Amino acid sequence: MRAVYGIVAREFVRFLRQRGRVLASIGRPFVWLVFAGAGFAAVFAGRNEIDYRVYMAPGLLGMVVMFGSLLAALSTVTDREAGVLRMVLVAPIRRRTIAFGKALGATLLGTAQAIVVAAILLPFVHLRPTLAGALLGLIAVVLSGLAMGALGLVLAASIRSIENFAGVMNFVVFPMLFLSGALYPVRHLGPVLRAATYVNPLAYGVDLLKHALLGGWARAGYGGELPVPLDCAALALFAIVGLAVAAPLLGREGGVTRTAFRERR
Amino acid sequence: MTTAAIDARGLGKDFAALRALDRLDLEVRDGEFFGLLGPNGAGKTTTVHLLATLLAPSRGTARVAGRDVVREGLAVRRSIGLVFQETTLDRDLTVAENLRFAARLWSLPARVARPRIDALLRQFALLERRDDPVRTLSGGMRRAADIARGILHEPSILFLDEPTAGLDPRARRSLWERIRHLRAASGLTVLLTTHYVEEAEPCDRVAVLDHGRLAALGTPAELKRAAGAGSLEEVFLAHTGHRLAESDGG
Repeated sequence: MRAVYGIVAREFVRFLRQRGRVLASIGRPFVWLVFAGAGFAAVFAGRNEIDYRVYMAPGLLGMVVMFGSLLAALSTVTDREAGVLRMVLVAPIRRRTIAFGKALGATLLGTAQAIVVAAILLPFVHLRPTLAGALLGLIAVVLSGLAMGALGLVLAASIRSIENFAGVMNFVVFPMLFLSGALYPVRHLGPVLRAATYVNPLAYGVDLLKHALLGGWARAGYGGELPVPLDCAALALFAIVGLAVAAPLLGREGGVTRTAFRERR
Repeated sequence: MTTAAIDARGLGKDFAALRALDRLDLEVRDGEFFGLLGPNGAGKTTTVHLLATLLAPSRGTARVAGRDVVREGLAVRRSIGLVFQETTLDRDLTVAENLRFAARLWSLPARVARPRIDALLRQFALLERRDDPVRTLSGGMRRAADIARGILHEPSILFLDEPTAGLDPRARRSLWERIRHLRAASGLTVLLTTHYVEEAEPCDRVAVLDHGRLAALGTPAELKRAAGAGSLEEVFLAHTGHRLAESDGG
């Protein structure tokens, strides 16, 4: 559909025009690899089953998708503040098509970033995925991107302005990252935190990426832990529920609000 | 045969305890230039947003271009153009990119959109600025680009919500020139809201809203005669008893 294409194309044009955002998205995983990687590698020293930097690779790719897709979907907040969202809402498109277009744009942006990062990161840590592994990795990235994009839309609809962004980072992004298995296995966590990993979309994405990339270390306990179909189904469910919740919330944003009256009367 | 472009019956909207629009009965004829006047918070923008399907009415019904605003929102949005009080252009994209984005949102094929965008840019004197980011444009140019965006899909009804707010007199005059040409060329129905009362003088008919209620309705001449007033501004004051406000109204 042309409207969806328009929404996706705009996301890409905006992204590529923001030089800083491009560099940050490519550079961020390497910063983590160098600094967090060095620290954790020292802690893990003496356990020779896997190089910690290899262990980190799937998690870092998951992180790229999370930031890429979540931030892209969160740009809906700026769209709303700048008024652009209204142009979209007054167009003859269904609300769910708008939500889907936004989430798809976020997914493709996150996927493109993950592919670029993977092309540099995997050779860097001497990880050579099999063809099947690469395909599964791509599926993992796309599904994670959709789930993150949908989550980003729900968050964007519920935060009033971009100033609340720090809250999102502290209470959504960081917990999601640390409870995803990206940096350390989560099976040793206490029952409460472990339970939290089951409602964390990134945990399924990272698990799927471990299936894809760390198959050779599965026996040593570093591969994916949940069945592949379960990971896929969970991510798809997050995406569908997120879109279903976000679509009507987006529609609410078009008209004048009560606040307009309070300010002006 | 004249059909109603807009037909609102008992249309109203509440925001919690606040009654933004009470019960509005309003008929705008096909091809009419209709002015909606009122002080701040009178319910002008609320009316426009209800008619444009951006808000769900709390009571009453409305048909726009013959379609119900609640049940046939998509069809209504297909027939209307809406220029909002505040710009809706993406400031980081160029003028042409914004119009291309809008063309895609309205599902116009590129071969239809391209010549139309060129023609609009020429008509609105934006040809030289087509590849400049919108953020570098003056207020008047932005407004012109907003209106070009609003009519790109050739709507049959155009809503202009305070289109001249914040523009200098020259930009205002050239804007009205363009809207006059547009109406002459296409027979477009235009519903204008404004608090610059004198701008409603060329309207076929004018409605005055106050506190969410219709306070007066008629041709400018009728209203002036009925109020024993020499100008629309006096009519406005007679019906609303308000001072003319400085800023935009809800």
